[in-house]
Formats: sequence, structure tokens, C-alpha cells
Amino acid sequence: MLEAIDLVKCYGPVRALDEFSLHVDAGEIVGLVGHNGAGKTTFVEIVSYLTRPDSGHVTIDGKPPSAVKGQVGVAPQHIALYPSVSVREHLELFGKLAGLRGQALTTAIDDIVVALRLGDFIDRHAAVLSGGQQRRTQAATALIHRPALLLLDEPTAGADLETRQAMLDVVKQRAGEGAAVVYTTHYLPELTELKATIAVVRNGRVIARGTHEELVDGLPGEVQLTFDNEEEITVSTTHPANTLIDLLSREDRPISTVDVRNPSLDDLYRSLAVSNAP
Amino acid sequence: MLLDTPHTQHRVEPPPSTGALDTLRGAAYRIGALAKHNTLIRLRDPGQMISYVAMPMVLMLVLKPLYVRAVEGGATQVATGLMVMFSVFAISIAGNAILVERTWRTWDRLRASRAPATELLLGKTLPIFVVMVVQQSILLVYGCLVIGLPIPRAPQYVVFAIAIWAFALLSIGAALATIVRSHGELSVISDVGALTLSSLGGALVPLSIMPDWAQVAAHISPGYWALTMMQAAVRGDAAGTLAPAGVLLAIGLVAGTFAVRRLTRGWGRGHLL
Repeated sequence: MLEAIDLVKCYGPVRALDEFSLHVDAGEIVGLVGHNGAGKTTFVEIVSYLTRPDSGHVTIDGKPPSAVKGQVGVAPQHIALYPSVSVREHLELFGKLAGLRGQALTTAIDDIVVALRLGDFIDRHAAVLSGGQQRRTQAATALIHRPALLLLDEPTAGADLETRQAMLDVVKQRAGEGAAVVYTTHYLPELTELKATIAVVRNGRVIARGTHEELVDGLPGEVQLTFDNEEEITVSTTHPANTLIDLLSREDRPISTVDVRNPSLDDLYRSLAVSNAP
Repeated sequence: MLLDTPHTQHRVEPPPSTGALDTLRGAAYRIGALAKHNTLIRLRDPGQMISYVAMPMVLMLVLKPLYVRAVEGGATQVATGLMVMFSVFAISIAGNAILVERTWRTWDRLRASRAPATELLLGKTLPIFVVMVVQQSILLVYGCLVIGLPIPRAPQYVVFAIAIWAFALLSIGAALATIVRSHGELSVISDVGALTLSSLGGALVPLSIMPDWAQVAAHISPGYWALTMMQAAVRGDAAGTLAPAGVLLAIGLVAGTFAVRRLTRGWGRGHLL
């Protein structure tokens, strides 16, 4: 569905994308993770035809972004809503701009209102919505026309629990229906819940790509024992369960709590991106 | 539709390449949606528009005795002059309407839609165009009924003149919005610049009593051409209306084309304040 090959994009002396390549299949959710300034947003802007790459190329379903302009669902990183316009009016505008009309538009609005739980505030102006409600409204304007490619740039940044869950549910549903999804985030556990494949971006290029298991396998987790006298032992290990058994067999002090943390995506993020950041 | 998901039950309009008629229909639909949307925004904050109707009415009434004593045809001068002067503020309205999309970060959302920059600009400025035509019509009727402006012999010329002037102003406002970096900059350029140019054009002080150099310099002001056109239209002078209309049309086309080209590219991250 989405194929990006060797994209390069410079803003003055800053090389935002440096031979960035990514492939996303229909029905696949790809989580783009990386530190701020890694190039995630620039990639989203190129795919949505807001910015042209200096070199390299992108195809969406075999076509360049210019040929499918407006048919990709884009939810940008920053809230971009009209303060004095209601949620319903936003949906009508973006639905119409996507080509929906008449009953199809009404049905699309009804569907997305239910899916993203917008019903309680649909007639309120964007200016008076909470941050989470604004996030959901923004996502709804990107999803209303059921695009086959979704670009969601940190859609849950600063969002409350309800917003996050609603967003994840809809993304899973749309991917289940066959949409390709590019989901940039700093909240790595979300990618686990979405069963997303992960692309780690650093300095404008994808430096690791794979499933959660493929990328996390071999990373250290932690075992922590806290004793009654409030002393603690923390062991970093690639085999937390075995390490715990070993520790328990050797310790004869009374233990108050045991904490086992398996390797997580956060560990991957740190090991690949943060620790190697320039 | 290639890019719809398999389970979609929604009808997505075919892409623009399916035929000329479909392209036109799709464009008209999107421009209509954008115009409705921008009308809503404008109606929810109408203060600026109301003041640009009320202020010239008051000033026409107050300044009429002065103009009538100062020049022949003083009533025509005060009415048409203030019509032109207060229409120039449309530059600021149009410019701010576009610039605020940048503040709200909504312009890129619109750019990512199917609508090209021309449609976005048309959808944005159509409601302001209507507002301007209504404002000028109200002032014209007020001028005839209260100030003593002669009733136009050929109203169609006046409507034509108002439409051309509105087009030129909105194009200039749109072009300005694409080159300034903030509302402050736009305010300085549009308010000071517009007042200077309309004054220089003879909208405030009749050209006949201005210094010789100012009468020559007036020709570089769109306000001069607007005033000349408007006064000719009120007189029912077709040739006198068309010549300045041509100049204003050219200014509008150049500014409008420039605005579309700039808006197609967007502001870019490097240029945000």
C-alpha cells in the first residue's frame, strides 16, 4: 500500500530525512517510534503531499502522493481545529472535502461519532472542548471517509484514558477492515496493544524494523526484590523468570515484594534511539 | 475506488481525473463546502464587518457639509470616497482570514484535502466578497437617500464596479497574507498601506485640491482607479468605468495568481513564527 524509498529531505542545514525507507502493507499497522526530530513528522508530511522530498520517492497503492491527494487520512501532531466551529461542522467540512455527500455523509458522521465517542459534545465548539475531546475530533476528521491509508501523527499525545482507548479501538478496527496505518507515537505500550510492527527512526532513517518479539528479544528486563528491612536488589537480565528463581533460591531474608519486568518496547526505544542519539 | 477500504459502505467521489464535468462538479461542491464553512466563521465574529458599515455612514454624514462647500459635487465625492476608503479594509479582513488558518494550523489540513489552493482561496474569499458587495450596496443606498449622491443612471455599472473592486482588494489581501509573518505585520501593511493608498487616490481629500505631485502619484494607487471607476459608474459612463476596471482587474489577477502559487506551497515549518 505504502512504499517509501530512500527519501531525503533537508530544511536548510538540517537533514530531516536521510535515505528513509519504509513499506506498509494493507491491513498493517506500523508504529513509527523515535526521539523528537527523528524525522517522523516530515515523513508524514511527504506522504500527505504537504512537502516534497529532495530525493527518493513515495508511492501509495502504486501512485505518487499527488495522484491520491486527499484520499489519505491525516491526523497531524498538533491540534488543528477551528475554535468557533462545532464538532459536527468539522465533520461535515472534512467529509465534504473528501467527496462524501447526502446520505453517505450523514452515515459517515454517525459512524465516526459512535466509534470515537463524540456524541456528548458533537454540537460544542472546538474552543471549549477538553484536550482529549479535541484529539478525538481531529482524528474523526481524518477517519471520516474511511481512507485506505491512515497517517496518525502522535494521535494520543496528552490524551486522557478514554481518548486513548477510543483511538486504539478505531485504529484496530480500520486496520482490520484493510486500511494501512502509520502510527507515530512516544507511548510504546500502545503499539503492543495495536499489535503493530515497529519501525524505529533515528536521524532521519529507519534503523530497525520488525515485530515486537523480533525487536525486543534479547533486551534485558529487570527483577527487583524488596526485603522486609527495606533493602532492595535489582538485577538486569534477559531471562527474568530464571533469574527470579535463582535469586529466591539463594536468598533467606524475608521478602516483602517481588517485581518482575519483562523487556519492553521502552527498553528497545532507549537502546536503539536515545542511547545512540547524537 | 482503489483507495477505499474493502469494507467501506461510504461512497467516495471519484478522483478529479474522471472527466471535465466531474472535475467541475467536484470543485464546485468543495468550494461550496469551504464557502459555507467560512461564512459560519465570519458570522460568529461579525463585529469587524458591522463597524466597516457603520463608520463610513457616520463619517459621510459628518463630513458632507465640508465637502459640499469645498468642491463641486461634494456629495458624490464624500459618498464614493468613503465607500472606497472603507472597502480598502477588506484587504485586512481577507488577509487575516487566511493568516489565522496558519495560527490555527488548519491550512495544512485543508492543503492535504482534495481541494487545490485555488479552491481553498475561492472558498475563503467568496463570503468576504459577498460581504463587500453588501457593504458597498448599503453605503450606496445610504449615500443616495441621506447624503445626496445622485441615483445611478445605470445601476449595473455600479454593481460591476463594486465586484471588480472587491476582487482586486481580496486578491491583494490574499497575496499579503502569504508574505507577512504575523498578524502584526499584516496589520501594519494593510491598515497603514491601505489608508495611505486610498488617501493618495483621492478617497479622503478630492484630487483636485491636492498638490500637483500628489495628483500624478495618485495613479499608482488602486484607490485612485477604484474612485475613478466608481464615480464613472454612478454617472452611467461606460467607457469611464471600463478603463479603470481593466487596471483593477489586472492588479487582482496578478495578486490572486501570486497568492495561489504561495498558498500551494504552504508556509512551511521554517517560516513559522
